[in-house]
Amino acid sequence: MRTDRGMQRNYRLASIFWLIIGIFVAISAYRLGLSRYGQPGPGLIFFLASFVLIISSVVDLGGIFFRKSQQGSREFIWAGTRWPRALLVLGALFAYVFLLNILGFILSTFVLMAFLFAVVEPRSWWTTILISLITIMAAYGIFKFWLQVPFPEGLLGF
Amino acid sequence: MDILNNLFLGFSAILELDNLLFCFIGVFVGTLIGVLPGIGPVGAMSLLLPATYKVSSLSAVIMLAGIYYGAQYGGSTTSILVNIPGEASSVVTCLDGYQMARQGRAGPALGIAAFGSFIAGTIGLVGLMLVAPPLASIALQFGPPEYFSLMCLGLTLLIYLASGSVIRAIMMAAFGVIIGCIGQDPETGSSRYVFGIPELLDGIGLAPFVMGLFGISEVLFNLEQDLQGRSVLKTEIEGLLPTWKDWKKSMMPILRGSILGFFLGVLPGGGAVLSSFASYAIEKKVSRHPEDFGKGAIEGVAGPESANNAATDGAFVPLFTLCIPSNVVMALLLGALMIHGVTPGPLFISKNPQIFWGIIASMYLGNVLLLVLNLPLIGIWVQILRVPYKILFPLILLFCLIGAYSVNSSTSDVILMLVFGLLGYLMRKYKFEGAPMVLAFVLGPMLESSLRQSLLMSDGSFLIFLTRPITAAGIIATIIMILSSIIPTFRRKRKTIPMEETL
Repeated sequence: MRTDRGMQRNYRLASIFWLIIGIFVAISAYRLGLSRYGQPGPGLIFFLASFVLIISSVVDLGGIFFRKSQQGSREFIWAGTRWPRALLVLGALFAYVFLLNILGFILSTFVLMAFLFAVVEPRSWWTTILISLITIMAAYGIFKFWLQVPFPEGLLGF
Repeated sequence: MDILNNLFLGFSAILELDNLLFCFIGVFVGTLIGVLPGIGPVGAMSLLLPATYKVSSLSAVIMLAGIYYGAQYGGSTTSILVNIPGEASSVVTCLDGYQMARQGRAGPALGIAAFGSFIAGTIGLVGLMLVAPPLASIALQFGPPEYFSLMCLGLTLLIYLASGSVIRAIMMAAFGVIIGCIGQDPETGSSRYVFGIPELLDGIGLAPFVMGLFGISEVLFNLEQDLQGRSVLKTEIEGLLPTWKDWKKSMMPILRGSILGFFLGVLPGGGAVLSSFASYAIEKKVSRHPEDFGKGAIEGVAGPESANNAATDGAFVPLFTLCIPSNVVMALLLGALMIHGVTPGPLFISKNPQIFWGIIASMYLGNVLLLVLNLPLIGIWVQILRVPYKILFPLILLFCLIGAYSVNSSTSDVILMLVFGLLGYLMRKYKFEGAPMVLAFVLGPMLESSLRQSLLMSDGSFLIFLTRPITAAGIIATIIMILSSIIPTFRRKRKTIPMEETL
């Protein structure tokens, strides 16, 4: 019963999230203008889409209250998963983007690869460094020299 | 006879060494991209687009088109062997293809996917040859209301086929339209939902959006699961030629999938993804043993795989006749053509016969090359797949990062991709589907443009959508589909289609 209640709460939160997004977009769209000088305005499509989003969110929210039995057997969304690992990787990717222009492609990508190769299954440092080096050399060769992708060079100049 | 003469013209154009080489590179890269999860034809085509600037318009489009339909072929391999769709259009192939592989029938599954794709590709080409020229003349009479209703119909078809909650599919479609229209208003110039970020003035790029929603989120979702369970099936892949019994079961699904796929591919936004879903739903509905679907029914592989290839051909119809790219891949092709000073539209075929028929001929050749690449070389693709996931996922992420960066050489696209990766991950957790959002995202700007032009024509009256025959038919079909989706009886039936877990 506890996980059922947790599930209900999670689904409710999701519907409320979309409802809030819908209301925000609708208000902003109204301010943008639904019509100008008798012509359709820049906010019209946003207003119509957010109207659909609001209505469907409300229906979905109502459905969660009335269809409790259908979700009874499911498990709690976050239980039994390794979600911190997923979020850790996502955090590393965001950090990589911010480091990319500072450290340059080669160095920042090397750090990222070493982290990613080590985060799931810890290996010896030498193995991690070796795999990361091979990866980055291959990627740099293919994308920089063959496909001519202009990578950022960073403060160190490479 | 005109068609044969024109086809001869096309073949004479592509049987030059340069064009043959570009055709081969295209289908090879396409197959590789299709096999590798996390990077799709959009990223690959974006990367190779600059390489086409110095070649002829025909060579450029031949290669880019080859990547597109090659990816459809390659996508089936990952779906069957690792239960990870290389492409979104191969998602449904996972359902029965992977089950067949688990039962030791990976060979026939891969075989029927390749043969079905080849047959469908050829049928699709015949359809393209027959439909495009007459449609070009009809298209001269289409106005914005007709375009608007066609796009509404395409969007609703996807919602109608949603596997989980229809209401949630509608929510995602609505949100897709919203983010698809973000950016500078093309008519008034006002900024819309850019939050002071100059990069958003041009709108959100489809490549970072799709790579985040399907690529990054897939990796994140897999990371929280037990990675040991994601390895490639270690069964021997033998007997690629399907048996007579397999052919008997698959022939009608292939034919139905080809025809359905072609016509859904013609719809703006329809394309390969929608057609594969639709084909699976239809095959399950017409089957005498629907309970076998999801447990290794070969019809569940043959139908969708044929449909997504035929849709690839169908998607060329609106591009060549209406100048409407029905998906982002077609948009990239349109860009490549326009760089060379060639503009598709109703007059494209008559003004550029060597390009139109050359592309058609290249697709015939490409289909043969793909059959040669996919069947005898299946071992090579499998070796690529046998790389453990703990090694593969950093590479997928690296491909995504470089792919998103290379579109505009900008980190803002990478950040956008990561944001959509997080959104996609949460959507998977909370059982929201990404497909309606992507379709609505692609159609959003075109929907807005045609809506505004229609309302301008009618002085603001929405009745214009009911007073023109084609428009009214599209809108009425849309309304009927939405209503029938909400009726509980229909919803119960759809819940039996086991697509939910794969999105």
